[in-house]
Amino acid sequence: MIRLNDVKKVYPTRFGDRMVLDGISFDLAKGERLGILGRNGAGKSTMVRLISGAERPTSGTVERHMSVSWPLAFGGAFQAFLTGRDNIRFISRIYSQDFHRNLAFVEEFSELGQYLGEPVRTYSSGMRARLAFALSMIIEFDCFLIDEIAAVGDARFHDRCNFELFEKRGDRAMVIISHDPGHIRDHCSRWAILNNGKLTEFNDFDVAYSAYKEMIGIADRSIAAADESFLDSVRNRLHLLEFSYRKAVADDRFRALVIEAEFIRSRAGWTRAQADWAAAERSYATALSMYPFERSYWSVLGHTIKEQGDLAGAEICYRTAAALGQPTQDVAVHLEFVVEQQGLDPQNYPLRAFSRTTLPKQVPGKPDLELLSYVFWGSSSIDDIDCLSLLRGKSSLDEVAQTMVLDERFLRQYDKAFNLELDELTDSASEQGDRDQRLDFILAVFFTDLSGPVRESLRPKLGRSFDVLREIIERDILSGWELTRAAIDSVRNEQSRG
Amino acid sequence: MALPVNENPSLLDSLRVQRRVLGALFLREALTRYGRHNIGFLWLFVEPMIFTLGVTALWTATKTVHGSGVPIVAFALTGYSSVLLWRNMPGRCIGAMLSNVSLLYHRNIKVLDIFVARLMLEFGGATISFFVLSLVFISIGWVDPPEDILEVAGGWLIIAWFGSALAIWLGAMSHENELVDKIWHPFSYLLFPLSGAAFMVDALPHAAQSVILYIPIVHGVEMVREGYFGARARAHFDLSYVLPFCMVLSVLAMLEVRKLAARVVPE
Repeated sequence: MIRLNDVKKVYPTRFGDRMVLDGISFDLAKGERLGILGRNGAGKSTMVRLISGAERPTSGTVERHMSVSWPLAFGGAFQAFLTGRDNIRFISRIYSQDFHRNLAFVEEFSELGQYLGEPVRTYSSGMRARLAFALSMIIEFDCFLIDEIAAVGDARFHDRCNFELFEKRGDRAMVIISHDPGHIRDHCSRWAILNNGKLTEFNDFDVAYSAYKEMIGIADRSIAAADESFLDSVRNRLHLLEFSYRKAVADDRFRALVIEAEFIRSRAGWTRAQADWAAAERSYATALSMYPFERSYWSVLGHTIKEQGDLAGAEICYRTAAALGQPTQDVAVHLEFVVEQQGLDPQNYPLRAFSRTTLPKQVPGKPDLELLSYVFWGSSSIDDIDCLSLLRGKSSLDEVAQTMVLDERFLRQYDKAFNLELDELTDSASEQGDRDQRLDFILAVFFTDLSGPVRESLRPKLGRSFDVLREIIERDILSGWELTRAAIDSVRNEQSRG
Repeated sequence: MALPVNENPSLLDSLRVQRRVLGALFLREALTRYGRHNIGFLWLFVEPMIFTLGVTALWTATKTVHGSGVPIVAFALTGYSSVLLWRNMPGRCIGAMLSNVSLLYHRNIKVLDIFVARLMLEFGGATISFFVLSLVFISIGWVDPPEDILEVAGGWLIIAWFGSALAIWLGAMSHENELVDKIWHPFSYLLFPLSGAAFMVDALPHAAQSVILYIPIVHGVEMVREGYFGARARAHFDLSYVLPFCMVLSVLAMLEVRKLAARVVPE
């Protein structure tokens, strides 16, 4: 039995005390497994350290009436200058265990072979993880603390870890922290959410998980948006491409959506049910609506669309993935397949891959088309037919913009921007959220590399799509966009003549 | 079979665990510091031996004046060995927690254990070095055998006690205050010439004697010398000063460790 009584933990910082845990109480009996959900920085790891005894609570008590492991797969307790074997020897001594038996087990389990004779500092992170996990299995604790084990090693090693932990040691108590809700659902018997220093317990996973999703703000799909610090930091389109991936995977909401999508997709893989593929598509699409320039999930989204028979939709996704920088060899096969299935010759519809050039020459993807369509046509929704023909036929943002300018939809937008009295126009307030991230993307793509204050001063002037168009033309920021500029000039001349 | 939990350990059980933990930490420290290459563990005392030999040679060559009838080799041996003893201990404990804080994930390892393991290593190295060099010099006739081995040991232990208490105190403080590390280095340099290693108290003017005897190490060094050379050394020391001093310092050190243990955050 482990019992926490009103445990509080306060960390002193330079900005004053920070209450990380604010009165946590629970019991954990032998054989019970508690799964803890919580966003980054909620204090999950602090709680695990308090349970393990490595750290003491500021107030309250932690009673342990069974042996408790260190946080599993934790590599920090290694002495990096010692060999793997010496580290095993040390642990064996501390816990008064037979070294040779332990060595044999670790050799067998970690498959490190000769490397056990080398200093741990020379190991790769994967090797360290294998050694750390094997070491954690040496000591037969009554309660295991598991902090993000899903991150360890390859799939096969992962399976073996799961077997050691959940099959062979199925009778032990566990406290499991993971970002992977599926992992916690499968391996726990009780669940809890840690938020604002308080722990809320649930006896049912689904109830716990929907409460968690509500808490991190993805339950209501319409409000999904990127992290504000990310939006504040991007200054040009290359930033968008490069930092979207990193920021997205660090964003709890994005990760939760993707994990959910991944789970539905794996289920769809064997049910083959259309409903499942559609559900997976929705989850990926929501995730990507937060970070549309996140390159790595576009092709997966394409797969789920392809499975539902929408080849054109899939082609859009694959082309977008390549345009945003996904390596072509990952995308090319899929693209060729969907092009062929549409009865076309892939030779005539080549893949256009990302290249690092000036903005107007960069290859467009679907999110770019949406932005350009918003600016030049007044609507960010662009249908699949337009989208596909632009992606297939145009190799640069400049060409896309040129085509849009020469379309009649541009004339209406141009009229609104320059020819109509402002008060004749009603605001299209339908998409007014807390923060319209489309505006941040527009600022990053068109109003490149502006300093923070300038961006902020620009923001109120860009309230409607034609305001953006007017600012773009009046500020003459399309200097590198030769085709587009020529097209706009020709439209202007016609307007002035007419 | 799960690891047994002993809810009400007897003192003997606890001592057994303590011994095991310290033993394991000691070997880990030794391996980390000296490795398994070339002479390995032997560095434990070869390193201080080289120091002492070097200083002995230097002082002999320059015929350092120390103001007594004690032969220079014996003077350097007793003096510099004791310097190594008290000076290296804080050096090893300052910052020790930073690199070892994750060891606290093992329930039986406490903050104090980490310090004690390092002190055992330091004490062991300095003592073996002192002992071996004494044996060598005695056997080749450069130094006479000590007149009172127990008194040498007593003085030696006093220096070790002072060094350990100081080391733990500074080591625990240094975890949250990097100034400790910065200040200790110049401080230890300044303390060296005042520690009695390079002079005999008796040779000082009377006024200086009473001042220098406020430094506790001087008492230990004088005691070692009296044990070694007997009446020739004309040693000055006062156990009723140095022992309470060390006691108070130890209490301070333990309080600091207690404070640190309540606050330390493993990564």
